[in-house]
Formats: sequence, C-alpha cells, structure tokens
Amino acid sequence: MTASALLPVFALMTSLTAAIIIFTLPEQKHRLRTVVNLTAALLKLLLVGLMIWGVFQGREYGVSFTMVPGVDFVLRADALAMLFAGLSAALWLLTTVYAVGYLEGSPNRSRFFGFFSLCVASTMGIALAGNLFTFFLFYEMLTLSTYPLVVHRGTQQALRAGRTYIIYTLTGGAVLLLGISLLHSFAGDLPFRPGGHFAGIGPDLQAPLSIVFVILIAGLGVKAAIVPLHGWLPTAMVAPAPVSALLHAVAVVKAGAFGIVRVVFEIYGLETANALGLLSGLAAIAAFTIVYGSVRALSQSDLKRRLAFSTVSQVSYIILGLCLLGPVGVAGGLVHLVHQGVMKITLFFCAGNYAETLGIHRIDELDGAGRRMPATSVAFTLAAFGMIGTPPLAGFITKWTMGTGALATGMDWVIAVLVVSSLLNAAYFLPVLNRIWFREQKDPWTEERQWGRFETSAWLLWPPLVTAAFLVLAGVLASASFSPLGWVELIVAREVGP
Amino acid sequence: MTLLLMAGLLFTPLAWAVLTLLAGFRRGRGITWLGIVIQVLVSLALWAVVAGEGGFQYPLGGWQAPLGIELRVDGLAVTFVLLTALVAAASGLHAGFYLDPDKQWHRYFWPLFWFLWAGLNVVWLGNDLFNLYVGLELISLSAVGLVALGGQAEALRAAIRYLMAALLGSLAYLLGVALFYGQFGSLSLSGIAFALSHGSAQGAAGFALILMLFGLALKTALYPMHWWLPPAHGIARSPVSALLSALVVKGSFYIAARLWLELEAPLGSLALAQLLGILGSIAVFWGGWQALRQPKLKQVVAYSSVAQIGYLFLLFPLTWNTTEAVALQAQQAMTLQVISHALAKAAMFLSAGNLILSVGSNRVNALAGVSHFLPFSLFSFGLAGVSLMGLPPTGGFAAKWLFLQASLATGQWWWLVVLVGGGLLSAAYVFRVYRASFVEDSNIDHFFHPARRLEIIPMVLALLSLGLGLIAEPVLSVMALVFANGEGT
Amino acid sequence: MITAPLLLMTVLLPLASLILALSPRWQKIYRYSLPLLPVPAIVAGLTVELHNWLEMPWLLMGGTWGLDELRQSFLLLTSILWATAGIFAVGYLNTRKLRAFCVFWALTLSGNLGLIISVDLASFYSFFAVMTFAAYGLVVHEGSDEANRAGRVYLAMAVAGEMALLTGLLMAAQHADSVLLTELPAAIAESERSWLIVALLVAGFGVKAGLPFLHFWLPLAHPVAPTPASAVLSGAMIKAGLLGWLVTLPFGELALPAWGNTLVVLGATGAIGGAMLGLKQVRPKTILAYSSISQMGLITLMVGAAMANTSQAATLLSVIALYALHHGLAKGCLFLSTAVELPTERRFRWILCLLIGLPGLSLAGLPFTSGAAAKFAMKDALKPEQYDFSMADYLPLVMSAGAVATMLLIWRFLWALSRSVGTGRNHRFKSLGWMAAMACSMVAFWFLPGAGSGTGHAWFVLTPSESWSLIWPIMLATGIAVAWWIARGRNGSWFQC
Repeated sequence: MTASALLPVFALMTSLTAAIIIFTLPEQKHRLRTVVNLTAALLKLLLVGLMIWGVFQGREYGVSFTMVPGVDFVLRADALAMLFAGLSAALWLLTTVYAVGYLEGSPNRSRFFGFFSLCVASTMGIALAGNLFTFFLFYEMLTLSTYPLVVHRGTQQALRAGRTYIIYTLTGGAVLLLGISLLHSFAGDLPFRPGGHFAGIGPDLQAPLSIVFVILIAGLGVKAAIVPLHGWLPTAMVAPAPVSALLHAVAVVKAGAFGIVRVVFEIYGLETANALGLLSGLAAIAAFTIVYGSVRALSQSDLKRRLAFSTVSQVSYIILGLCLLGPVGVAGGLVHLVHQGVMKITLFFCAGNYAETLGIHRIDELDGAGRRMPATSVAFTLAAFGMIGTPPLAGFITKWTMGTGALATGMDWVIAVLVVSSLLNAAYFLPVLNRIWFREQKDPWTEERQWGRFETSAWLLWPPLVTAAFLVLAGVLASASFSPLGWVELIVAREVGP
Repeated sequence: MTLLLMAGLLFTPLAWAVLTLLAGFRRGRGITWLGIVIQVLVSLALWAVVAGEGGFQYPLGGWQAPLGIELRVDGLAVTFVLLTALVAAASGLHAGFYLDPDKQWHRYFWPLFWFLWAGLNVVWLGNDLFNLYVGLELISLSAVGLVALGGQAEALRAAIRYLMAALLGSLAYLLGVALFYGQFGSLSLSGIAFALSHGSAQGAAGFALILMLFGLALKTALYPMHWWLPPAHGIARSPVSALLSALVVKGSFYIAARLWLELEAPLGSLALAQLLGILGSIAVFWGGWQALRQPKLKQVVAYSSVAQIGYLFLLFPLTWNTTEAVALQAQQAMTLQVISHALAKAAMFLSAGNLILSVGSNRVNALAGVSHFLPFSLFSFGLAGVSLMGLPPTGGFAAKWLFLQASLATGQWWWLVVLVGGGLLSAAYVFRVYRASFVEDSNIDHFFHPARRLEIIPMVLALLSLGLGLIAEPVLSVMALVFANGEGT
Repeated sequence: MITAPLLLMTVLLPLASLILALSPRWQKIYRYSLPLLPVPAIVAGLTVELHNWLEMPWLLMGGTWGLDELRQSFLLLTSILWATAGIFAVGYLNTRKLRAFCVFWALTLSGNLGLIISVDLASFYSFFAVMTFAAYGLVVHEGSDEANRAGRVYLAMAVAGEMALLTGLLMAAQHADSVLLTELPAAIAESERSWLIVALLVAGFGVKAGLPFLHFWLPLAHPVAPTPASAVLSGAMIKAGLLGWLVTLPFGELALPAWGNTLVVLGATGAIGGAMLGLKQVRPKTILAYSSISQMGLITLMVGAAMANTSQAATLLSVIALYALHHGLAKGCLFLSTAVELPTERRFRWILCLLIGLPGLSLAGLPFTSGAAAKFAMKDALKPEQYDFSMADYLPLVMSAGAVATMLLIWRFLWALSRSVGTGRNHRFKSLGWMAAMACSMVAFWFLPGAGSGTGHAWFVLTPSESWSLIWPIMLATGIAVAWWIARGRNGSWFQC
C-alpha cells in the first residue's frame, strides 16, 4: 500500500475510528470524548487538505478491491470528490465544535457523537466512492447512521419524523439499488469516469438507458429532496440543530445531489444524457422544485421549517446547474454544492443559537433578537443575504455563474427561475431579518439563559461566525484559485472540457 | 493430515456428546469449551487445506463409493463446516454463560448441542442420500430436544409441534430416497445423476424429487409449511434459537439445494422451479409482515427467519434451465445468503436474549429508552439487522445483489419486486425495534448490564456478517471450488 | 503610485469602522468618526490619476477599480455630501440606537462610494446591493410605523430593481464575455436583444433614480429617515441609479430614438408630475423628495437625448455629471436645513433664512449659483436643432416648465418649513455640518474638477439674455406663489420671520 492508496482510506478511517472509540467511552467522559472528536476532525481536515493539494498537482489517490464477483469496492480521490470531501471535512470540524456546545449537559451524548462520526464517515465515503456500487454502500450507511441522530430527542414528534425519514430514504435507497443493478446487468461495473461510459451508444440501448436514468434519479432524488420526493426533509428538522445543520448542509441532501452529479457526469456523460433527452426533464423538475420550495417556505412560521423548505429549493440549484450543459452553468451548479452548504449550515447554527439561548423557535418570537445576540444575528443576516443571492456573497456567485451559463447555452428561461427564486427568497428571509434587527422585543424570552461572557456559549458562537466569514470570502474572493469557484473550474476543466 | 482432520471433524462431536452426557452442567461446559476449540481449529485447518489445494472426495475408512461412505469435501462443504463451527462455537460459549447452571435439565444442553453439530457436519459433507438422511434425523431430533429445554409447558408444546413437522418431513424424504433406490439401485447423488443422464426412466424419479423437496421444505419452514418455526424458535432459550435459526434450517435446505442442482436438468420443471420461487416470495412478504406485528422481541426475530429463508428458494427458479454463469451467480447468492443469515440471525437471537435479560421483559415495547444506556447488545442487534435488510456492505446485501443480477440476467424481473420489497419490509421490522429503543418518555432509570462476555459474542457475529460483503469475493472463490469439482462426476 | 491605497481606503475605511460597533463603549468614538469616513474618497477624487485601473483578479469575478472623469465627479459629489452630512449627523444624533445608525451609515457609505469606483460589473453590482440593503436600516431607523411601512415599500421595490438589474447585467455580460463595465455598452449595442437589456437596465436603475412610476418608495422613504440620512439618500444615493445608467447604457454606440422618446416622456412626467405632487405636500422633507423626483426627471431628459443621439452623447454625459453634482450638493443642503433650529435672537434670523433659501434658489437656477451653471449647460446641450428624434422639439418647453415647477416647489418648501421650524440652539456640529454643506454647494462647487468641464463656458460671466432666460421662470413662479398666498389669505407664512 502506497501513500496514494492510504490517504483516502485514512480519511475514511479517522471518523470511523472516532465513532468506535466514542461508542466505547462511558457517557460521563465528556472531556475525553471532545478531545477524540476534535482530534479526529482536525486529522481528517489535514488528510483531506493533503489530498486536495495532491489532486491539484494532478495526482490521483485510490484503492480498490473486488467485493462481490463482478463488483469492485473503489475509493478514489479526484477533483470532484475533493470538492465534497473538503466541504464535509471542514464543516464536520465546525459542527463538532457546535455540537459539543449544543449538547452541553444533555443526555445520550455518547450515542449522539458516535453516530455523528459514523455519519461523517459515510459522507466521506460518498465523496470518495469510485463507482456506483461503492457510492451506494456509503449512501445506505448514511441513511442508517443519521436515523439515530434524527430521533435523538426521543419525543413522539422526533420518532414520527424518524419514521418518515427512514421510509423515504430506505425506499429511495431500494429504488437506487434497482437502478444500479439494472445498469450493472447490461453494462457491467462502471467506475466513475469523466465523460461517462455511454458516448455514442447504439439506438437499442437508448430506451433502457433512459429508463435506468429515471430510476437512478428517482432513487437519488429522495435524498436530494426533489419535489415530490422531499416530504421527509421538513419533518426531519425536529432533530437537534447540529444534526439539521449537517443534514441540510453536507450530509444527506448533498449526498443525493452529489450522486446525481456523479451519475450525470461520470456514468452517462453530459453529452449522452442530453442526447437522450434526459436533462431537459431533469431541468424542469429542478426548476419546479426551486420555485415550489421557496413558495412553501413563505408560509412557514417555524424558523427551522422555513429553513428546511429553503433547502428543498436551494439544493435543486445544483441539479439545475448540471442541466445547463455548458461548462459555465455546470460550474455554477457545482459551486453551489459548497456555497449552499456553507450558507445553510450558518443559518441552522444560528437558528440553534436562538433556540438554545433564548428559547426561540417561531419566527414571530424573533423580534429584537439582534440586540440581544448581535454576533449570531450578523451571521444569520449574511447567510440569508447569501441565500437571496445578494452580491458579493457566495450565493451571488452561484447565481451569476449559473445565469451566464444558462444564457451561453440559450436556456434563457433559467434566468426567470433564478429571478423568481431570488424574489421568493427575499420574501421569506427579509421579514425575518426585519424582525431580528428592527423590531422591538415584545415579550420577555421564556427560556433565556446567560451562557458565559458572550451572548451565548463560545462553542455555539464561533462556528456560525466562521462559516459566515467563509461565505463572505467565498463570494468576495471567488476568483482566487483556491476558492470554491476556482476549484470547481478545475473540476469542470477536467470533467467537461473547456 | 487430512485423515486426522476428517476424523477430528466427524468424531469429536460424537465423542463429546457422549462425554458431556455423563457430566453435569458445569463440567459439561468445561468439556464443551475444549471441544469447541478443537472443532474450530479443525474446521479452519480443513478450510485452509481445501482453499489451498481444492476439494476432494473422501472415502470414509478407505472404502470406495458404492460400498463405503464417501464424503464430499469441497469448497462449499468446508465453508459451511467453518460457518457451523463459528456459529456453534458462539452459541456454545454464550450458552455457557447464559443458561442457568442450577436448573437440572440444562445439563442436557451439551450432549444435544454436540449431536446437533455432528449431524450438521454429516449433512455438509455427505454425498449419498442415506447419509444425508441420517444427518438430517440427528439434527432434527437434537433440535427438538433443545427446544424442549426451555422448560415451560409452552416450550414442550412447541417442541412437539416441531417434532411432528420434522418427522413428517423425514418421512417424505425417506420415501423419496426409497423410490430413487428402487429405480437406480444407488444412493449416491452423483450416481443417480449419472444414471439419469444416460436416459433412464423418469416418472417415478420426478415424483421422488418432488417428495423429497416437499419434506425438506417442510423442515426448512418454507411458507406455508412454516407454522412450526416461530413458536419453536421463539420459545427456545436464546442460544438454542440462534442455533436453530442459523444452522438447523439451513441443513435441510442445503440438501434440497444439492438435490436440485444435481437433478434439476433431468427431473426439474419450470412449474416446480417457479412454484418454489413463488412460495419463497410469499414467505418473504408474509414473514416480514408477521414480524412487523409481533409484540414479542424473539417472535419478531423468528418470523424474520421465515422471511429470510424465503430468499433462499429463489435459487430454484434462477438455476432452472439457465446459463452456467447465471446459475453460478444464483448459487453464490444462495450461499452468501445462508452464511450471512446464519451469522446475522445468530447475532440477533443472542443479542435479543441479552436485551431481554437486561430489561426483564420479552416485549418489544419494553425496550423503550434503552438506547439511553448504550447497550452493546442493541448495537449488535442493529448491525445484524442491517444485514437482514440487505444494506451494504453486509453479506445480506452481497447476496441480494447477486440474486438481483441473476434475476435480471434471466429476465425474471418479478423477483426484483421480492428482493427490493422484502428488504424494505425487513427494514420496517428492524426499525420498529430501533425506534422502540429511542423512545425517551419512558422513565426507566435502571438497566441491568449483562456480562461483557455475553455481549461480545453476538457483536463478533454481527461484525462478521457485516464484513462478509466486503470479503465476499475471497469467500466465494473458495466456495466456487465446489462447482468446478463437484459437477459432472 | 498612490492610486491603489487610496481607492482601497475609500471602501475599506467605512467597512473597517464597523469594528467600532463591537463594543457599546466605543459608540461615542464612532459618532465622532462619521465625518472622517469619506475623507479618503475625497482625497482620491481630488488626487487620483484618472484611467489608471487597479486590477484585482482575485476579487469576485475579477475586480477592476478606478476613476474616469464621470466617476471622479460622482465620487467627489458623493464623498463631500457624505462628509458634510456626517458632520451634521454628529450633532443631530441622540444616543438612542446610535450604534445601529453608525453601522448602517458606514455600510451604506461604503456601498455608495464603492459602486462609483468600480469598473467591473461584479464589484459595481455588489456595492450597489450593499448600499441598497444597508440604506434600509437608515430608512427605518426611527422605528415608527410610518418608517416601517416606507421601509417595506423601499425594500420591495429595491429587490425588484435588483432582479431587473441582475437579469440585464447577466445578459449584457454574457454577450460581452467580459465583466468590465467599459465593455458593456458596445456589447449591448451589438446584441440582438439590446431592447430587452436596455429596458431591464433602465428599469433596474430607474428604481433608484426615482424614474416616474418606479418612484413610489422615494417620497415615502426619503423623508422618514433621520435628516442626515435623508440628505445622502436624496443627494447622493439617488445618483447611484443615474450613474448606473451612464456606465451601462450604450451611449454613443447606438442611436435608440425610441428609447430617447420614452425617456424624454418619462423625464418630462417626472419633472412636472413630481413637482405637481410635491405641491400638495405639507411636510418639508416630503416636498424635497418630490423635488428630487422632479430634478431627476430633468436629468432623465438629458439621458433620453443621449440615448437618441450618438454624437451628442459625450457632451451630454458631462453635463449630466455637472447637473448631478449641482443637484446633489444643493439638495443635501436643503435636507439638512430641515433640521436646523432658528436662533432665538431675531436679528440673526434673516441671515439664516436667507441661507436656507439660497440652495433652493440655486436649484431653480438663480444666476451665479451652481444651478445657473448646470441649467445653462443643460439648455445648451439640449438645443432641439441638434437632435432628430420626435420628442426633441418639446425639450425647451419641458425645461422651462420644469424650472417654473422647481421654483414653485421651493416656495412651497420654504412655506412648509416656516410652519414647522423650531427655535433653539443648534448643536455645534449640526451648524458646522450645515455650513459646510452650504459652502460646498455655493463655493467649492466651482473648484471641483467636474464643474469646469462641459463646454468650456465661464459660467459666471452671463449675458443679460442668458440671465433673463434663467430668471424669468423664477419670477414667474414667485408671482404664482405670491398670488396663491394672497388668495389663500392664510397667515403663518414665511414672512413671519
């Protein structure tokens, strides 16, 4: 085993090992557990950083062996994988810090952090998976490891949400499995490969390939929360804030979206998928999801629920981006993978801070929160503006890139979708901001607690501030070479060609 | 070397059965553990030999086939021998801690345990129909005895039911054997296959096959002949349930599969193959549905066995009149399913036993809030459940995958519904247990942690079944030796 | 040499000042630092070498900042106005919500300055958005229901405008395959969808510039803000929309007579309609807001003419800059005056009254004021014989009507102010700020780089006929006002003081 094989394995193992250690630690060993958590997260960030550097230099990392006859287990670090791996490694660290603060003094922490680490290990696996089969392996592992997190509180509501979640995701997984095995039955084991495998296929394969595509997307679409498969997402927001943050930003929805990216780019190939007429349908669904999610978000009075519907809408940007065919549009979609993650995690962190510090859950309770918790509110504001797509924040870069890409390929209607979505985003975020900053506090906060010398616990405060700073930098420094956009352009150059 | 190994494999269990019969529970336990070590080592060594050098025919006592007993030591057989050693060792160890030494009748656990083991080894290695019958009877009788060890009246009732089924099954099987013997004058499977391939009469032979398959299906608890299984497996002590679900039902299935693979070409029919497949499918859904509705934890696991056994019967339609490659895929799927189910189900029963010990009740709802205490056993139960659901990277998934590929390759798409739907249904009943354990509003504040050693054993099994999918390829490559060697002889 | 740091400081200083908001103990420092925030911008406007672009390839989509003549003029206007309003604010503000005010002030300022020095599209749009959204904080600062309502309307229209801009800029940039604003006009001119792009840009910036029918937020929002904020809203930020037009629309590239006609009609509507609506108002600041709409209407006339005629575009652009400079400074003064208290001693009052009225007269074009310079340049540039689009013939008429309307509105303002003005001592900084604004409008104007450009005419050497053309509308309006005053027979007018 050379370093090139070991790095991806180690990246995977860090969180897996952390999970095992945490499960065996007694509940009361809080300090030790935190140390293990943070060490693993830092180590992973380091490993991923090394790989990113290597991939940037043009190196490839990978390891593979045969699992079942005809099917290989493949881990491979390419540029696309590193996009997702980098995102999840960075956000894992922050979410861990946040979760340590968030769960301070609550029961079942050992269980929580164990599954939390498992969840991140699965995400890493999804990122590094080198073929559909391996992808599926981690995809299902993710489903299983997130269930305990969703039902963590153990209330009836949480259990119900957990049930909805598991029904949706396992069914989606089953459909995905069906699609993968159908594909495997007539095409064999397909590693992910830029350009896909089906360039210039004969007419006899077109019909089955199209059907399989629909099945695959349907399976992946459950996690990506494409309408009408999104039902689990708003319910799942009963989970603790760090879990929602992770679910919405990196883990679950992104796994679905990332899978769609892999299928479209590296199994079918952009050209082929388009030639089969599949992408226009996908684009239409994504566009509908974008608008639908935003419209639903408008009428939510619970903060986290509103954010959840916003996720439904935002994740489909990624999918819509893929359907824009040209390199620029594709870059817009891919970069949103990171941007949406950073923005949404900030929003959920902040929502969690409001809930934990002031007991605020509903939007109309937010009046005057900005005065009490200015730093959190600044982070929230930046992220919300990012979501709206206000320059110079990260969301604007997405919109701009996607818009240019859409125009370049003559898909002008996408602009309308972007505009409508931005308007709706403004319509559901700006009133919230108005309440936070410009309304006077009405009633005293019921569960307010003083937590250290800052507005809230430092563990809870820093993660959203860091992500908020990141989303500003991702926008302002978009053209720097190591910005998300810069990296995505590298990917696109390798995947789609100039 | 081989001689020693074979002798060790076949005679240790019998010898130990006798030895433990003479001892009390505690002494029997000590003796058994020694025996377990020997058996595991022997099985491993034999497996290594076959893996290295390929399978062979082993004439027992040096007598050649028509007269003496010839054993078939091929990759598949040694894999199952090894599997048996693992699961039996785990159950034996677990039973040693789990069973109450002060109950008089528990001392009979050990001899029955060893007889069971001996019977299983005979079945895996046997090459003629009568040998197989002997093994089958040995298994059945000791299994019935083990069920009866539960002690209560209910356990006895279940045992009697089980006995009835086992006897009926044996009878049908024996009748088939007699018919074959009458027609071909041979009891050797390969002999019969050879005779058939040279165009002998078929009518009675076909009936014999059906009869034997019926008997074996009854013993395997194929729907709708499964009625005896849930009470028996549910009421038995947990290590016993583990043995029964993991190994005993597989013994009869193994024989059925052997018969079918040797004789399907001349004697099988599309209708028979599809019928078995359909019954298996119904078992998958019915078992899953029943498991979902059971209030008692062990009943859930028992019905899950009914469902999981159903998958095995997909072997029949998928090997009938199909290409070599597909048949191979189906066989690999079947063996993986046998192994992973054995490991997972044993883990599940053992951990269920631990959980019941912890909360003091056998009801699913009694698990409310136990995940709060992070019980190790719940974790093992969960991991085993992952395998039952057929999620990667477990062995259950690998099996499902191969079944899927085989179904697709033969165009029998309807099995896809079974495979995918069955997985979801098993997820439903497994998650029912998880869900119960996460309920927070119960106010249990005490939780009895069973001894670590009791908890480690199911964990090891669960991890094995989990990891099986990752190492399916090497395991299957050893198993594949059977088909290279065994067929056409 | 010094270009880069100055340009960077222009934006970064206001942004960096946000640090002062971190602790409540620093809010006093913050308050006194408000006037200093635009200082680098003033220095930059006066000293930076023009057309010397500062390239920042890592910024957004690739950043380019710098100044040309147009931007220089706008930068000076904006920074001077913000500086004087800043001085005024020091005296005007009380301690309630002081920190919030300072934060939004600094953010809006950085946006306003930044968009002027941006030469690339992404920076421009970013600063534009920062200014738009931060200004909301200034609008609703008082927290009254009225302010909140105005804020809502402002925000809704601003967001809609942003979206129109996004679409228009996207299409233009995609066609230009460049993010440089300097490339856009040519690209728009070539595009087969130039009509749509122009429409989107006109509408998008028109919201900010108070284009008729997109102006609804303006009379609501400008008056409710704290007075210094009103001054910059009406004086400087409204010009950001104008600047947007000037830097993106295809002036000199493509003659678009249809657009010329449309804009002239809109401009006339704004110039006269705005004044008409303003006459019905009773609150001084609202009247001023309508006056802004009216003045922007006049500027829109020039924009329309420039759209229709490629050869005149360059001249018109510099006149527009001049007019904007004049209007911004004068309007700033007027807004600030609404919060000035009259001295209790009667003998100083008349000086103050005169000073308050002076910028108003300047707006109307009183000779020897900046208004005269601007008005005259406009008349010069809009002589109908230079144009061939159908509405060109009506330009002088509209301009004259506009001048009368302007003066009427000023009288109305003075009347309204006289009814609401209080007496008392002014805070030192308030007086200082107001005096500074006045000085800039009346004196410094003549020395600013933008003022001298244009046609090279020496503006304070007027021939009698030229003077007459400026004075008669003032006289006419005064006559109407007096007639109206006598007809109403009301007491409590301006002359009371």
